[in-house]
Amino acid sequence: MRRFITLLKKELREQLTWQMILPFLLVVLVFLFIGNLTGKETKKALAPQKIAVLDEDRTPVSQTVIDSLTQSNFNVRTYTGITESSLVASAKNEGIATALVIPAGFEAEIAGNRSQPLTVYNIIRNFSFTGSVGNRVASQALDTINEALSNQLIAQKISGIDPLQLKKPVFPKNFVIIGARTAAVSPDQVTGFIMSQTTFLPIVMFLVIVIAAQMIAVSVAAEKENKTLETLLSTPISRTALVFAKMTAAGIVSLMIAVIYMFGFRYYMNGVTGFNAGEAFNPEMAAAIQQLGLMLDLPAYILLGISLFLSILIALAISLILGASAEDVKKAQGLVAPITFLIMIPYFLTMFIDLEGASPLLKYFVYFIPFSHPFLAAPNLFIHNYLSVIYGILYQTVFFMILVAAATRIFATDRILTLKLNFKKSGFK
Amino acid sequence: MEQALVVEELRKNYGRYEAVKGISFSVQPGEIFALIGPNGAGKTTTLRIIATILAPSSGQVRVYNMSIGRDNEKIRQNISYLPEEAGAYKNLTGIGYLRFMADIFASDQRSRQEYVDTAVAICGLKNRLNDKIGSYSKGMTRKLLLARSIMTKPKLAILDEPTSGLDVLNALEIRQTIKEYAKAGMTVLVSSHNMLEIEYLCERVAIIDRGVIHQIGTPTELKTKYQAGNLEEVFAEVAK
Ligand SMILES: Nc1ncnc2c1ncn2[C@@H]1O[C@H](COP(=O)(O)OP(=O)(O)O)[C@@H](O)[C@H]1O
Ligand SMILES: [Mg+2]
Repeated sequence: MRRFITLLKKELREQLTWQMILPFLLVVLVFLFIGNLTGKETKKALAPQKIAVLDEDRTPVSQTVIDSLTQSNFNVRTYTGITESSLVASAKNEGIATALVIPAGFEAEIAGNRSQPLTVYNIIRNFSFTGSVGNRVASQALDTINEALSNQLIAQKISGIDPLQLKKPVFPKNFVIIGARTAAVSPDQVTGFIMSQTTFLPIVMFLVIVIAAQMIAVSVAAEKENKTLETLLSTPISRTALVFAKMTAAGIVSLMIAVIYMFGFRYYMNGVTGFNAGEAFNPEMAAAIQQLGLMLDLPAYILLGISLFLSILIALAISLILGASAEDVKKAQGLVAPITFLIMIPYFLTMFIDLEGASPLLKYFVYFIPFSHPFLAAPNLFIHNYLSVIYGILYQTVFFMILVAAATRIFATDRILTLKLNFKKSGFK
Repeated sequence: MEQALVVEELRKNYGRYEAVKGISFSVQPGEIFALIGPNGAGKTTTLRIIATILAPSSGQVRVYNMSIGRDNEKIRQNISYLPEEAGAYKNLTGIGYLRFMADIFASDQRSRQEYVDTAVAICGLKNRLNDKIGSYSKGMTRKLLLARSIMTKPKLAILDEPTSGLDVLNALEIRQTIKEYAKAGMTVLVSSHNMLEIEYLCERVAIIDRGVIHQIGTPTELKTKYQAGNLEEVFAEVAK
């Protein structure tokens, strides 16, 4: 145990260098920066949109148009008695992206039941995501205007009937059913919520595994290359302690990276979606989610965390074995690269295929890959199917223990020095 | 008298290839004994087996009457091994590396400090011990590693090509250090493909080629026997 601690300290000191940590901190800083920036931009985009209107008609109907825009939370700047080109010039000056022209004779034409063209100037400054928000202003404005005018027209022509009832005789009353629970909410909202809660988990897991797998494989291969491993093997350190110290150090580093990434990602997502997980988003929505039991409770989070962490440990154990089988650092890096695919396969399969309906062969193939289980766990936890998540965790545990036993076995025999995995020649040499 | 090392009919196969073909020799306590021979002769393989990190295919090896295979745990407490072309952890400082290795062998704080102090004195790296090993030259690294392998005063030090690749002065310093500690009672088993320098270092040598030991004796004995001026000429005769 004393020697294990000594080794563990050495591993951490070797692996936790600034060269290693700095890139992560930079990535997270970039995330925070982008999150912050887009957060501000998104807020700007949600603020009342400015629109410039040149009223050449100056009648009650043109006034209705302007009023309807103001009521729909547009920030309307009205002009009269100027040319269209000076309208565009002033709009540009004021940083307004949309300018409308209500032509002379507008009221008369509408009264004569003739549809009217409404000139719209769209001033595009750039093609970024937030820049395109301005483009939507025009169509929103037009919808608003059509709504107001058609309501007015219907009310004039057919008295005593609610125009809304005429235009939309039916409207949806959505219910979402999950298991035995039902809530009045739209399915889009529910899936949107679930996505916002879980999309970043596989991404974080993927990044952590890619980095940690490289790290541990390189660390073992470097010890082989520098002969420090031979030195350690000739000392009274037990082979088990060697394997466990490497695994523990890599596990600790992985957890650190995972936490840093999660933190960065959450912040980033909050910024981009303008959605803060902590705040109550929309009380009705929150109630519906609660009613459907879609809030992950503490045990669910713990199970998900275990499943994710076991996946990382399994990747580490595989990489340890591959690193121990490589002659040098370069070969080790090449050997662990395919682990990435092992994660991608279940990620895409679970995303695009309903396993329940899939062929048994495909189903068991997915179950067999230990990295599938965190992807399977999240949806199962939302529908409170804890048992299958626990089975997955048990499978991962067994898989992990077999790998650790294999690694210890390799370290305890000649193979740690004589294994030379090489894809060019056939397998073992 | 108890022998420091006894090797009997030792064989080692890598798959179908036999790298060591039934060699036998023994080393007295306090002696500096060398395995000399060209690259690929089987020196490293033999030393790795004695260092308990490879298992012999057949034959007997005893270190101070402890048997390889059966008493590996005990042997590891009493030997130290310096691998061929060894490096150290690049992100550790020299002193950090010595403390780490001392921690592995020491049973208490006092002996740990003793080991580290000994190594600091042997390696002669002074202030550079506070720098990362990644910044060391080859000679500095070798001195650090040699100091590490003898700081615990092992009963048997196994040094694989301790001077190979070093310049003349560094090689000389290393040889002097080894000699000094052997005088103090440490048994040393070295290997080398440089047969000239070994005359200055060793009491007895074994000439090994293609997994077979051809001759064992003091450099003077061997030179007289083959009427040769140096060990290289002896080897040329033996290898015929
Ligand atoms: N891990 C291994 N697998 C296969 N052959 C090996 C291995 N290690 C050494 N050999 C072979 O065994 C022979 C002896 O090698 P070695 O003991 O390293 O010689 P030396 O140290 O005298 O140069 C060489 O022919 C070498 O190619
Ligand atoms: Mg060698």
